[in-house]
Amino acid sequence: MGTPKAALEWHGSTLLRRTAGILARVTDGPVLVVRAPGQELPALPPQVEVVEDPAEGLGPVQGLAAGLAALSGRADIAFVSSTDMPFLHPAFVRRVVRAVADGADVGLPLAHGYPQPLAAAYRVTLAPVAMRLVEQQRLRPAFLFEECQVARLDEAALRADPVLAALDPDLDSVINVNSPDDYAQARARQAPEVTVQRFGTLADGHHGPHPVRAATVAGAATATGLALDRHVVAALNGDQITRDGEMPLAAGDTVFFLSADAGG
Amino acid sequence: MAPGGYFGRALVVDAGSGTSSVLPLDEEVLRGYLGGAGLGTWLMHRLAPPGADPLGAQAPLAFVFSPLVGTPLTTSAKFAVVAKSPLTGMLNDALSSSHFAISGKLTGHDAIVVRGACDRPSALLIDGDGARLADAADLWGLPAAHAEQRLRERLGRGWRAAAIGPAGEAQVRYATISHDGRHAGRGGLGAVLGAKRVKAVAVRAATKVAPADPGAVLAAARDLRARSFGPATAKYRELGTLANLLAFNAISALPTRNFQAATFAGAPRLAAEELAGLRTVARNSCASCTIGCEHIYAGGGRKMRVEYENVFALGPMCGVSDPDAVLAASGLCDELGLDTISAGGTIAWAMECAERGLIDAPWLRFGDADALMRALAEIGAREGLGDLLAEGSRRAAEQVGGDAAEFAPHVKGLELPGYEPRTMHAMALGLAVNSRGADHNRSGAYEADLSGDLDRFAGGDAQVAAAIETEDRAAVMDSLVLCKFLRGVFREPFEEWAALLSAVTGWDADGAELRRTARRIVLAKRVFNIREGWQPGDDWLPERLLSQPVETSSGRVAALAPERLRAMISGYYAARGLDAEGRPAPADLAGLGLR
Repeated sequence: MGTPKAALEWHGSTLLRRTAGILARVTDGPVLVVRAPGQELPALPPQVEVVEDPAEGLGPVQGLAAGLAALSGRADIAFVSSTDMPFLHPAFVRRVVRAVADGADVGLPLAHGYPQPLAAAYRVTLAPVAMRLVEQQRLRPAFLFEECQVARLDEAALRADPVLAALDPDLDSVINVNSPDDYAQARARQAPEVTVQRFGTLADGHHGPHPVRAATVAGAATATGLALDRHVVAALNGDQITRDGEMPLAAGDTVFFLSADAGG
Repeated sequence: MAPGGYFGRALVVDAGSGTSSVLPLDEEVLRGYLGGAGLGTWLMHRLAPPGADPLGAQAPLAFVFSPLVGTPLTTSAKFAVVAKSPLTGMLNDALSSSHFAISGKLTGHDAIVVRGACDRPSALLIDGDGARLADAADLWGLPAAHAEQRLRERLGRGWRAAAIGPAGEAQVRYATISHDGRHAGRGGLGAVLGAKRVKAVAVRAATKVAPADPGAVLAAARDLRARSFGPATAKYRELGTLANLLAFNAISALPTRNFQAATFAGAPRLAAEELAGLRTVARNSCASCTIGCEHIYAGGGRKMRVEYENVFALGPMCGVSDPDAVLAASGLCDELGLDTISAGGTIAWAMECAERGLIDAPWLRFGDADALMRALAEIGAREGLGDLLAEGSRRAAEQVGGDAAEFAPHVKGLELPGYEPRTMHAMALGLAVNSRGADHNRSGAYEADLSGDLDRFAGGDAQVAAAIETEDRAAVMDSLVLCKFLRGVFREPFEEWAALLSAVTGWDADGAELRRTARRIVLAKRVFNIREGWQPGDDWLPERLLSQPVETSSGRVAALAPERLRAMISGYYAARGLDAEGRPAPADLAGLGLR
């Protein structure tokens, strides 16, 4: 690739920043990045934690073991994602996590012709199993799946979720970029369509919601003629309020822009 | 000689006899409590008999000015009315702004305290000749604005008056004191004057007071004036606080139907963005103010000043979405002299009681504008159901019984303002622990919730720090007194406020001193409340907010667990140096300068 995948530019941010941001939006627990020993990472929000693989080059089960171990006692379910899926959608994450919440140990999507162990949900209690497999040099995810209950979600099962079907009908969430061409094609796509609305004095004639294409909150602000500054904040889907311009957006999102001086 | 900006004395008037005396205010008191809400707190410690009935003759009520009143500093023509609240039974200060502040101070006093009670409806007149009572039988029963106008016509040029409306006369526990179309609104101080049969207090300037450094004050005033035209005040200038309504609805922070929901389908009809172009007939400023936040709307056959809080309380809180009806209800509150927040909150609670069959009022239903108007009229006259509702939601719920108290929307008896605690956890803490009760002007913790700097759904240490910081800032702004709409122009507020105070008084105050002053004032308020019977359980939120989650517009379920609130309150107590039950250490009491 020429550039580490984590640091690849993505609409003014980076791929890793996007992935971490999407997961932070969907989950209510910690967000961890597992990196190779000494690996440099692009800037991340302060609440994102970084843990290090004890050894390099042992593959996904090693990273999975390190990440799940770091979450032990702090979360029940982890969604595990590689850093190179630029279209990962929150609705996809929710659907996959639900498979584990419903009782399985692993929620494993089968999409675009392959199982997707790096776009899957895992019960955190699998950490010791994954560690043992690493010690045994059984480094493929399939070995882990042999030892636990796996809910396999084919495309029909995934699309049975009406929200996911509406917002990511082609299941682009599992597209990853493994080559410069992949990255160029992904980057050439239009930013997702989101809805913005300006309130109060920010409305300034822009009453009501209107669609724009933007991959980040800052991009949405720019698209509607605003700049996030001391006097402007954004509320993503009416929930968290943020000044973080790199907060990633996904298709179907709504971004409200409010006066930071709101209140009596 | 008093410091610049001060007279060093309070006038204490006995409304029973018409006599008055002067209470000297030494520099230590003035520097320790500044003016406004702070000095008012000191005065209540000094003059209010412990345990006195707020509606009894012994209870004092103080109009308290500040060193900045009369200077050219923008928004400084403000004063505090301070007394023990008949609604909460605790210390209450209600701020307002108008020429009354300037004329009242220039009677030659830093505060005017009224105690005792008249034997017939009277007006209290204060000028250079001292204090005296005048018959006000012809004013009794009039709306405050009419009484104020008639009194000024009778007295002649130079007089300014603050008056109560029919609700104050009827001792509705959330009656207001009004002047120049503005109101000292919260906590029922109009009822305190009504109990004294004082329909109005009229003041006329008789002297002058100079700042210590007139040149520095003038330079600061020019600077502040220029900053007051900037983006930090744009919201207030362009749309007013009603701009909150649609935004709060979008972020599920708009209490609706007595806190049964956090969004209101009718919100767009009531939004400033919608109404401003259709209904605005004027935009005004308070005396000495360059912001100009007053947006005068026409609706329902009336003209009235529109704020977020009155539209929230009489609109979404009661399920009413017809803008004409909400504006008419707001206008009726002005005429009667009712605090719109407590009126709306109490009526919304009653609507829910009626729907649940807890009270026999089949006419009272959410969304029914006619019922809203009828309820307000009955409250103002204490007729029918209004006699119960005039007591406020806490007392009314105690009378109704059953589970009515669980959804009575108050803290310490003061009805909640338009901020949904389950989706604003910093504000939840601020509402719970504030000495005045559920109040957005003494705790501005909503600023943290709306800042984007912390998680508004997950209160913790950061929310505790934010609640304390905003409470401290409010304590100083309410004592200087400066309008909170100006707060966004200060980058280093305590330091900048200290510079203003120093220029006026001649003191060498700095930001650290004002931070200590803030903590002193906050603690002195708490100590007063403890003296008057505060219990640890008073620092809490209504049961509904802690047991019933609320769904946000995105489908998220937002909740505030009792354990989370308890943890935040414990953190607040610890950071304030209070014990585990919220009481101060004896050593801290000694530093308050109270007797």
